[in-house]
Amino acid sequence: MEEAAHYRFPPAAAYPLNRCLKALKSDRAFAERFVKDPRAAAREHGLSEDEARLLDPLDRDALVARGAHPYLVFMAGLRLKMLREPGKMELF
Amino acid sequence: MLVGAFACAHTPQLLIRPETEDRELVLRVHAAFGRVKQRLQALRPDVLAVVAGDHIEAFFLDAVPALAVYVGTECAGTFGPYQYRMKIHEPLARAVVEQGVERGFDLTYTQHAPLDYAFYVPLHFTMPEPALPIVPLHVNVYLPPQPTPRRCHEWGAALGEIFRARPERVVLMASGGMSHFPGTDRYASPDFDYDRELLDTLRAGRGRELARVAGEELDKRGNIELRTWITLLGAVGDVRAEVYCYEPSWHHGNAVVEWAL
Repeated sequence: MEEAAHYRFPPAAAYPLNRCLKALKSDRAFAERFVKDPRAAAREHGLSEDEARLLDPLDRDALVARGAHPYLVFMAGLRLKMLREPGKMELF
Repeated sequence: MLVGAFACAHTPQLLIRPETEDRELVLRVHAAFGRVKQRLQALRPDVLAVVAGDHIEAFFLDAVPALAVYVGTECAGTFGPYQYRMKIHEPLARAVVEQGVERGFDLTYTQHAPLDYAFYVPLHFTMPEPALPIVPLHVNVYLPPQPTPRRCHEWGAALGEIFRARPERVVLMASGGMSHFPGTDRYASPDFDYDRELLDTLRAGRGRELARVAGEELDKRGNIELRTWITLLGAVGDVRAEVYCYEPSWHHGNAVVEWAL
């Protein structure tokens, strides 16, 4: 896949970052801990202070530049929004 | 036997609508889902085989299968406030794995993995009553290198042969698409022209042409999930598609399509 691809091979060095984003997306208890204390939650996944800073608020481009998967960044953001502003969503 | 085939969008905003989404558009897609539900009731299937791209939910970077089959007794998942559980048609799921491997597809199978919303969203709106058992079929769409469109088409052709030889009435559903770029700077600019051309190709019964599309092209067009449709196209052959709806939102080409077999 050429470098200009939207979805690229995830670099192994970004595994902890992607694991943390996956937990934000899929692990409600973790996402709730993150909402209360983002830095402490990020430390659970062994992220550096630098990486933790990019998660709150989510800095999409900087995260993707570090190897975060764009879809995980997107869905982590949507799930946090769903947690923080549940009243603003219409459920079908 | 294979008695029906559908493709359905699974955009999460169709289930949980933020203020950013046009409510009327969402309801028009729901109306198309309603037509699918009616058709499913008329087709009287015994099982729904659903091809979806895993959204890094059932599988993470610990192991990334290109093609996988869920072979359990039931499956469950959550999405926001939704918690869902569905029966699996285990005999058919197992036959798909065994016969798929026999035909040269090195499949992964799982007996326990969360069910992604890519499966749940269309089924939430289209599942007939009483609910049918499903067979979840995973295609890797989000983690490069993904299976090639040609391989997906071949897998679909094998699935079609397997289903046609079975006693159960099977409906095949592809979940996903069309153009969208979640998490990228193209999010607000999907390639709707590409989608429309594609739908014309499918209306003309020329779906097999998609087997020749390059993976890079799908990425460029926001259509990496089209691998699920291409899998379905391998099973349905040259049948002409009927497009129930194509509703482009500000970030997603939402389509609902039937191939009447």
